[in-house]
Amino acid sequence: MTADPTLVRSLDDPDLMVQTPATIYDAIPPYPPRTEREAEFYAMGDGEMLINIGPQHPSTHGVLRVVLKIDGERVVDLDPVLGYLHRGVEKICENGDWHHAISNCDPLEYIASMFSEAMPVLVAEKLLDLEVPRRAEYIRVLAWELNRIASHMLFIGWLALDLGGLTPILYGFIERDEIVEMLAALTGQRLLFNYLRIGGVNGDLNHEFLSRLGDWMSHALKRADDESKLLNSNEIFVHRTRGLGVIDRDMARRTCLTGPPLRATGIPYDVRRAHPYSVYPELEFDIPTREEGDSYARYLLHLDEIKQSIHIIDQVLGKMPDGPVMAKVPRLLRVPPGRAYIAIESPRGQYSCFGMSDGSDQPFRLRIHDPSYFNLQAVGLLMPGHLIADTMAIMASLDPIMGGIDK
Amino acid sequence: MLAGPVTARHDTTEIRVTPEHLTDVMTALHDQPELRFLILSDLAGVDTGTVMQVVYHLWSDATPDWLRVICGDLLRDDPRIPSVTFLWNGAEWAEREAYDMFGIIFEGNRDLRRIYMSPDYQSFPLRKDFLLPDDSSRSPGMGIRHMEQAAPPAETRSAPTLRRGTGAATIAPGDAPTTATLPAAIGPEASA
Repeated sequence: MTADPTLVRSLDDPDLMVQTPATIYDAIPPYPPRTEREAEFYAMGDGEMLINIGPQHPSTHGVLRVVLKIDGERVVDLDPVLGYLHRGVEKICENGDWHHAISNCDPLEYIASMFSEAMPVLVAEKLLDLEVPRRAEYIRVLAWELNRIASHMLFIGWLALDLGGLTPILYGFIERDEIVEMLAALTGQRLLFNYLRIGGVNGDLNHEFLSRLGDWMSHALKRADDESKLLNSNEIFVHRTRGLGVIDRDMARRTCLTGPPLRATGIPYDVRRAHPYSVYPELEFDIPTREEGDSYARYLLHLDEIKQSIHIIDQVLGKMPDGPVMAKVPRLLRVPPGRAYIAIESPRGQYSCFGMSDGSDQPFRLRIHDPSYFNLQAVGLLMPGHLIADTMAIMASLDPIMGGIDK
Repeated sequence: MLAGPVTARHDTTEIRVTPEHLTDVMTALHDQPELRFLILSDLAGVDTGTVMQVVYHLWSDATPDWLRVICGDLLRDDPRIPSVTFLWNGAEWAEREAYDMFGIIFEGNRDLRRIYMSPDYQSFPLRKDFLLPDDSSRSPGMGIRHMEQAAPPAETRSAPTLRRGTGAATIAPGDAPTTATLPAAIGPEASA
């Protein structure tokens, strides 16, 4: 038997021969194509070449590698390579109890972790048929909407940054920092809050949070307007986003897009209205949509959503009921057997979770559906035909967060 | 065409289908004007410990409820199921993930590669017989070489195992946490 030069001894298991990393990560894989799609991608036409973007590249918003097939300056095809941040959160959750899953799910969507940490909480509550105190529900909505605004502000900054504009992200960070400090006063942490609990929230509203919130509310709408003035009519920004990365309505739906990328095509699918949860049915707000489906429409939609979120926060503060913030939940939580599916609207789209319990204190299966994972798929449809420089703007307009994509 | 009774709990209606009927059922749910299940909310692989399942969640503007389609009882040694990428091309990555984590083969998916793990990886991490070494000394995962299996799962495994808890149920406190207390079919060394 001849030795295969591409095989080396595995570090994990000395008995095993594996492909060398050097050959796996070559631009053209050393092995024959494994799928129809891979064969098509690596069959090079005349004048085409491959370039690698990432995995460590500032505009990929994390560790994402994209193999671009280009012809001159134009992208012909691309192949995103994921998994650089894969931690196996679903498996880890199966090995801890239901309470552990909350902090394990926190770093999935690290820009808006109030949403990802809600996943095991809401699933367990549904399986337990648990009635959450109304004050806790209102506090959750308040925290979610604040976090949505913080996330959207960063989105606008990042999008401009990927197009070469440095100013908007500074303004975005000012706004985000105020919200993050506010949430830190509420939860104790700036980024990974670990605030939601099965049956309620970790603590009641406090004075520092409320005074910071009051300060912020007094200028929130004006700041959102300022933010829009920075970019809305900036000629370079508009030229590089309008008409770029257009996806039509049917294709967006078939690609399983949710959140702003879907609503920018004119489909008013927002889980807060499509499948109401928490106290959203009691609140008044619109679902902004756009028809164009391009990067500019996605950008404008984020601005509209910030205003709607401020409107929601206004109502929540007016309607905030008194009462406890935690239901009575045992420390050792045995969740009755069954299946449950819950979905909430995160800044990036539908964040949903399918949980199974076998009656023990640990989740049997916790499947987390991250909207960025599905939204990122659209780059395969949006990027071909555009210039290399525009590909990153298109990706930024989909607002992917690699923490959730790689799980 | 349904493989079991229709059940409803909370805000979710649940139907069960077999892999042979999956394509027809999904096409009907998607295309029939009175059903209009146009949005695929989620696609999840599940290992129940004895069989594999693929669970779909669909949404329609005709009803506020979720529809859960459980396509089930796939063989653990050779789980095969038709792809739904002909209806939702966005299911492609979800199916790649289910393939990567469970080894479920989606027939008709034109890009069924691993998506998270590296191409040379050979195990399916979310399967119930893939054990993690745990901090706990009572963990059944202790002492098991888990990262890579020399042979693909179909050849190593005869009896599926199901592990729950941190091992309190399977190994009494004080017992030596050796592989001898585990079913014989875990890990490559058992089949040798």
